[in-house]
Amino acid sequence: MPPSAPRRIAHLDMDAFFASVELLQYPELRGQPVVVGGRGTPPPERRPDGSLACARLRDYVGRGVVTTSTYEARALGVFSAMGIMKSAQLAPDAVLLPANFDAYRHYSRLFKAAVAGIAPHIEDRGIDEIYIDLGEVPGETRAIAQAIKDAVRAATGLSCSIAVAPNKLLAKIGSDLEKPDGLTVLGIDDVATRIWPLPARKINGIGPKANDKLARLGIRTIGELAGAAPEFLVAHFGRSSGEWLWRVARGIDERPVETSSEPRSVSRETTFERDLHARQDKAQLTEIFTWLCLRVADDLTRKGYASRTIGIKLRFDDFQTVTRDLTLPAPTADGAAIRRAAGECLRRVPLERRIRLLGVRAGALCPLQEVAAETAMRQQELRFDEPA
Amino acid sequence: MVLIKTQRDTLLAPLQSVSGIVEKRHTLPILSNVLLEKKGENLTLLATDIEIQITTSTSGAAGDGDGAVTVGARKLQDILRSLPDSAEVSLILEEKRLQVRAGKSRFSLQTLPADDFPRMTVTENDLKKFTVTQKQFRQLLAQTQYSMAAQDVRYYLNGLLLLVDGSELRAVATDGHRLAYASMPLEAELPRQELILPRKTVLELNRLLADNDEPLSIEMSPNQIRFQFGHIVLVSKLIDGKFPDYERVIPATLKNIVSLNRAALLQSMVRAAILTNEKFRGVRLVLSDGSLKIMAANAEQEEALEEIEVDYHGDTLDVGFNVGYLLDVLNNTSVENIEWGFNDANSSALLTVPGNDRFKYVVMPMRI
Repeated sequence: MPPSAPRRIAHLDMDAFFASVELLQYPELRGQPVVVGGRGTPPPERRPDGSLACARLRDYVGRGVVTTSTYEARALGVFSAMGIMKSAQLAPDAVLLPANFDAYRHYSRLFKAAVAGIAPHIEDRGIDEIYIDLGEVPGETRAIAQAIKDAVRAATGLSCSIAVAPNKLLAKIGSDLEKPDGLTVLGIDDVATRIWPLPARKINGIGPKANDKLARLGIRTIGELAGAAPEFLVAHFGRSSGEWLWRVARGIDERPVETSSEPRSVSRETTFERDLHARQDKAQLTEIFTWLCLRVADDLTRKGYASRTIGIKLRFDDFQTVTRDLTLPAPTADGAAIRRAAGECLRRVPLERRIRLLGVRAGALCPLQEVAAETAMRQQELRFDEPA
Repeated sequence: MVLIKTQRDTLLAPLQSVSGIVEKRHTLPILSNVLLEKKGENLTLLATDIEIQITTSTSGAAGDGDGAVTVGARKLQDILRSLPDSAEVSLILEEKRLQVRAGKSRFSLQTLPADDFPRMTVTENDLKKFTVTQKQFRQLLAQTQYSMAAQDVRYYLNGLLLLVDGSELRAVATDGHRLAYASMPLEAELPRQELILPRKTVLELNRLLADNDEPLSIEMSPNQIRFQFGHIVLVSKLIDGKFPDYERVIPATLKNIVSLNRAALLQSMVRAAILTNEKFRGVRLVLSDGSLKIMAANAEQEEALEEIEVDYHGDTLDVGFNVGYLLDVLNNTSVENIEWGFNDANSSALLTVPGNDRFKYVVMPMRI
């Protein structure tokens, strides 16, 4: 890429996506602090007079976490991933709604289709965010970004924040700068003025651990990171991470927008409302475990993949996390086969502590059609389960 | 101190009896070792992988005194094996080292303390005991063990079902695609008990048992089994699991039965197998009036056709099988003729030996 032609990469992030979708259904809640989350939260009920009876944060008992909160709730200090009971101390009267993932997936498809109508070169980053390569799209940058925002609003009734920058790194940081309903255009010249004052953790890839470590080294902002010597960063973070930190602090990122993302794995996990014991809560654990396996099988089938490696994840009450996996002789998308393999993995974990989280993962994916071709010539199984 | 001074083979033969179960890589380094324990003229060798433990002893080991030490089993075996047959070998115990001397050869091996060597606690109560000949039991294993699964997630298939019922001993092995069943009479009358021998135990027994009429004593407890034969004592843990109900998959009724010459069928199968798909190994069998055709084709569209004359006048059958499963049974039975019974191309085939209801082999077809 010659320096004269910087790339035009957009990052689009839906504003408070789950909460905003809920507000489409319950418009009377607009302007109030609303929180989505908590398994088992009852859905709102319409009273005979047409008004809405909703659960409030203060009524919640359990270990659920906030999935999304509206900007009104964020103003009270309630953010994603916060325990709901903790958030109730900050905003006891905030409305609590159960998550409705089918609706979110529906709106996710709608907004992505709307964007694709304008700029088809899209990298899917999850249910509520995408990268878009605007390289092939004719027109002035800000006008294209506005057209995309308008198209998203027309298709869904929802607002989004978008930033256009020379790369994914800056676009991702940029879309957060003017939220909600933001439109930001960043050039490499803006790095010193707009990016360097930001805290280091705003960089996608600097998580809480790296951020703490940087803070201990006296580095709090991206600008301070850019001021650090590369040898210093390599000495503390290793070669590859150290060099990466040095580059990103300067706004350098060469990653392409990847349009066809083949999934690497499919997984499902759940945190229990209370920690479960392997023996005392065996029936419940078994049921949840089987359900997770069936959901993974379902996800695989829907996406058109079979998996060769089935794994499990457990987190105990002391937050120790263990994983085990097993490679199968042949790829499968069958719930019973996944359950069997996952059960085998579980046998290899000593279950002395109470279990907080259980997850099932299917990796080493290959397209179902290929598997079907292979199994056309299939060895049949002895039928031990049928009556003689 | 000279622990042992003896002929090479006096040491090598018992060492080879116990060293088969020693794992090459193990998290516990001492498990790569063999325990040598000398008391008077008697030398005991012991090896274990925690699941199986084999002990054997030999007499006529001269030396200066009693002692015990553990030393790398494979290294010691490799050294002894590469010495001349007639060599006289001395094992000299030094501090933390074992020196092996023979003629002008010297080897100094590291050791680990004998007291640290793990030994399986052998259950002594609630044992059910019976005795058979080594040859009988070896045959029982040979007729079935090739059908065991190797690394199946259904862990209970990675072994062999041993079932005592009244005055009968049965062995069953299956990998979910085919199943081999064999039985033999017992002199004792015992209450019904079933257990699953781990795959490794079965393969080791098959290696160690002799083809003779010497006795083999078998003692079973709910979680352990002990075999004593010759100078060898083998103790094995059992697989804790429920073996599938094998009786359900042995077809009770058969529409058609055809008798086949085992050797002729085996040779045809071996030839046809050359051109099967490497991954699936499918052969197509077409049985019609007076003829059995065996067909194979590989991914390169190369084809094989074998035809055998048979005394058959029933329905035409066109069925696919994994040739490996057929070769296994044909290779592991030593009879003149074998009977193939079947119902249709989608249900299991039953292979039996005419006039002998003590052996059954069930195999599921392939969809081709």
